[in-house]
Amino acid sequence: MKLLFLIVKNVGRSPLRSTLTALGVMVLVLVVTLVWSALSFLDGLTREKTKNLKAIVTERWRIPSQMPYTYVPKLAEGAARYPGDVKPQDWMAWQFYGGTLDPTKQTRNNVLFAVAMDPSKVRTMMDELDQLAPGDSAELDEAIRRMQNQRNGMILGRQRLKAVEKHLGDRMTVHSLNYKGINLEFEIVGTFPAGRYDNSAVMNAAYLNEALDAYPRKSGGRAHPMAQRSLNLVWLRVPDMEAFSRVAGQIISSPYFANPAVKCETASSGIAAFLDAFRDILWGMRWLFSPAALVTLSLVIANAISISVRERRMELAVLKVLGFRPVQVMLLVLGEALLLGTTAGFASTSLAYLVANRWMGGVPLGMFGSLYIPADALWWGPAIGAAAALAGSIAPALAARNVKVAEVFSHVA
Amino acid sequence: MLVLLAVGRVPLRYNLRNLTVRWKTTLMTGLAFVLVVSLLTVMLAFVNGMYRLTEASGQPGNVVILSDGATDEIFSNLSPVDVGDIENQPGILRDGNRPLASRETYLVVTQPIVNAIPGRPKRRFLQVRGIDDVTTAARVHGLALYPGGMWFSAAGVQALPHSEQDQAEAFPHPAIQIVLGEGIARELAQDRTPQQRAAARDPQRLDVGETFKLADRVWLVVGVMQSGGSTFDSEVWARRSVVGPLFGRESYSTVVVRTANAQAARHVKNYFTTQYRKAAVQALVETEYFASLSETNWEFLVTIIFITTVMSIGGVFGVMNTMFAAISQRIKDIGVLRLLGYSRRQVLICFLLESLAIALVGGVVGCLLGTLADGWTANSVVSSGAGGGKFVVLKLSVDALILTVGMLVSLSMGLLGGLAPALSAMRLRPLEALR
Repeated sequence: MKLLFLIVKNVGRSPLRSTLTALGVMVLVLVVTLVWSALSFLDGLTREKTKNLKAIVTERWRIPSQMPYTYVPKLAEGAARYPGDVKPQDWMAWQFYGGTLDPTKQTRNNVLFAVAMDPSKVRTMMDELDQLAPGDSAELDEAIRRMQNQRNGMILGRQRLKAVEKHLGDRMTVHSLNYKGINLEFEIVGTFPAGRYDNSAVMNAAYLNEALDAYPRKSGGRAHPMAQRSLNLVWLRVPDMEAFSRVAGQIISSPYFANPAVKCETASSGIAAFLDAFRDILWGMRWLFSPAALVTLSLVIANAISISVRERRMELAVLKVLGFRPVQVMLLVLGEALLLGTTAGFASTSLAYLVANRWMGGVPLGMFGSLYIPADALWWGPAIGAAAALAGSIAPALAARNVKVAEVFSHVA
Repeated sequence: MLVLLAVGRVPLRYNLRNLTVRWKTTLMTGLAFVLVVSLLTVMLAFVNGMYRLTEASGQPGNVVILSDGATDEIFSNLSPVDVGDIENQPGILRDGNRPLASRETYLVVTQPIVNAIPGRPKRRFLQVRGIDDVTTAARVHGLALYPGGMWFSAAGVQALPHSEQDQAEAFPHPAIQIVLGEGIARELAQDRTPQQRAAARDPQRLDVGETFKLADRVWLVVGVMQSGGSTFDSEVWARRSVVGPLFGRESYSTVVVRTANAQAARHVKNYFTTQYRKAAVQALVETEYFASLSETNWEFLVTIIFITTVMSIGGVFGVMNTMFAAISQRIKDIGVLRLLGYSRRQVLICFLLESLAIALVGGVVGCLLGTLADGWTANSVVSSGAGGGKFVVLKLSVDALILTVGMLVSLSMGLLGGLAPALSAMRLRPLEALR
C-alpha cells in the first residue's frame, strides 16, 4: 500500500514530465487503436462464420456480375428441385441503379448509386439493421412502409443525403448512367440510422423493373440493353456451413443457371477475394506500421523513465538506506511507468471511442461504410499502454534496483 | 540549422558533447525519429509508385473513347458499328489504309486459384483485355514483348500444347493464346506447384509455353510484355473474338486512337466531346484518363499525412521530455554560459540546435532505411473513386522529394519538440540558475 502511495506521489511530482509522457503515450496508442480497429473490422468481414451465415450468388466469371432477373425466384429457393433439397431461410436480390442529379455537370456529390431491392428485406437481410435501437427501428420501419406503398420512394444514408443537398420529402430526378434512357424520379422517404449505411441508398426494385418493362413501348419495341442483365447479386441466408454447401451445390449443378453461369460463395469469402487486392497494404499496416508505432511508444516511455531514474539516484539510495529492498525499488519504477502507460492508454482509447463513435458517427472507410472503434479497444488501450510501459521501463527499473548506496553517497561526499 | 549556427555563434562543441555524454537518451530519442521517418518514407514511396504508375500508363498522343456516362472501362459499352465509325474520324493517324486505333474489350473475370495458400482467398480477379488487332494495339500503347515471345495469332487459339495433351478430354477446346503483363505473370506464377516451379524456365514468373486454366479452357502464354510501370503490367491480353463471347460480352468497352501529338489529341478529344453525334461517347486524352484514376492515390496520401502527423506529435512529446530533462540537469551550465556573456538568444539557439542535431541524424538514418524499400513491388488498386478501377502491381519509388519531406518532417519534429524547452532555458536568470 505504501509502495502504491509512493508510485502515485512520484508520478504527480513532476507534472510537466508526466503530462508530456502521458500525451506521447496517448497519441501513439491512438494510432495503434485506429489501425487495429480497421484491421479487426476487416478481419471480422472475412472471418468465416459457422452459424447463420450469408451466401452470395453472382455471375460465375465476370465482374461486375450481371444476370437476368428471371434467376431470382429459383435462386430464392436455393435451386431446390428434389424432395430433401435445402432451401435458404431468407434471401434478397440486389440490382444496382446509378445516375447523376445533374447530367450537364457530373460531380462526385451529385452521383447517386442505389440498391434496388424488395423493401421488406431491408430489415431482415441487411447487416445490423435487425438489431436497431427502438427509436431508429421505428423510424426505419416507417420509411420502409412508405417505400412499399410509394414505389418511387428512396431511403438514403445521412452523409449521402447531405452530399446531394436534399432533405427528407424532397423529390429528385436521377439521370441514369448504367441504365441509359431510364431516368427515374424519386421521393426521399427516409434515412438510414447513422453508421454503416451513411453513404448508401435503397430503392424499390419494382420501380426499376417496371421502368425496364415499359422501355420497349417508348423505343419502338426494342428491349433495354440491360433488360436481361439487371440482376447483380442475390443474398441467401442459411443456418450453417452444411446447409451452405448443399445450397451452393444445388445452385451450381442447376441447369437453369447456364447462361450466364453462376457461382455461390460465402459473403466472407467474396469479401476476402476483393480485399486480396489490398493485401500488401494490409500486411504493411499489420506488420510494419503497428510494430513501429509500438516501438516508438516504448521508446518514449523508456526515455522518460530512464531520465527520471537518473535524476533520482540519490533518492533511490536514500530509500534503500531506509530499508526498501532492491526489488521494491524496482517495482516502484515499474509501477510509475505502468501507472502512466495504463492511464494514458485508457484515456486515449476512451477518447477515441467517444470521438469516433459518438461525435463523428464513425470514421469513413470507403466502400465499407464507417469504421467504429470496437468496445474491445477500451481494454486494448490500457493493455498497449501497460505493455509498452513495461517494455520501456524494464531497463531503467533494473538500473534503479542496482543503485549502489555507497557509490551515490561517495559522489555527494 | 546552418542559419542558426551562423546567427547564434554558440558553443557547438559543448552541445555535441552533451549529446554524447547522455548517449542513451540521445539514442532512444534518435530511434523514435528513425522509426517515424523510415515509416513515412516507405508509405510515401508506395503512393509515389501509384502516381508513377498512373502517369506512365498514358501516351500524350492517345485518346481513349468510352461510351457516354461510363465512369470506367468496365462500365463502357460501344457497339461494333459505332466503333467502326469512331476510328474513321478526322485527326486519327493512319497506317496505310488502316487507322491507328485499338479496339478493346476490358473484362474483369473471377479466376479460381489452384493450389491456394491456406488462409488466403480461393479466387482472384483477373483483368483480361480482348483485342482485335494486337500489333496495332501494341503500337498504340507503345508496348513490346520480351525476347522469345510473340503476339497472339489472328485466330487467337492453337492446339493444346504437349504438356496438356493428357487433359484433352477435360479441355476439348483449343488453347487460348495470351500475352501477359510482367506483374500478372509473377502473380500467376505463385499458383505453380513446387515441381512446376522447379521445372520452369523462369522461377519468378510465367513464361512462354506455360499454361493456366480458366473458364474451362487452357490459356497458353505466347509472350510476356515489357509493361513494367504501367497498368498494362497487370493485364492478360487475348483475342477479343475469343474471350468476348467466352465471358458473354460481345460489345467493345474502349477504343484507343493515336493522333500526331498531344495537341492533336486535345483536338480529337474536343471533336468527340462537342461535335461527334453518331454515338453517345466521351473522349479523354489517355494521360488525363489515367490521371483520373489517381483518386485512390489521393485517399492513401491523405491517410498517410494523417497517420504521420499523429505519430510525429507523439515523437514531439518524446523530444520535449528529453530536452526538458537535459535543461533541468544543466541549469548551472546555463547560468555559467550567461555569465560568460552568452545572450538569451544564444542560449535558445544552443538548446534548439541540440534537438535539431538529434532530428538531423534520426532523419538521415530514417531516410536511409526507408530507401531500402525503393523497388519493392506491391499490389494495389487505382480508381477514379466512382466505381470500377484497376488492380495493379506497382513498384515503390523513393525519390528526392520524398527524402526531402522525410527530412523536413524530422527537423520539424526536432524544432517543435525543442522549442518549448529551449524557451524555458532562455528565460532562466543567471544568478538564480547558479544558486
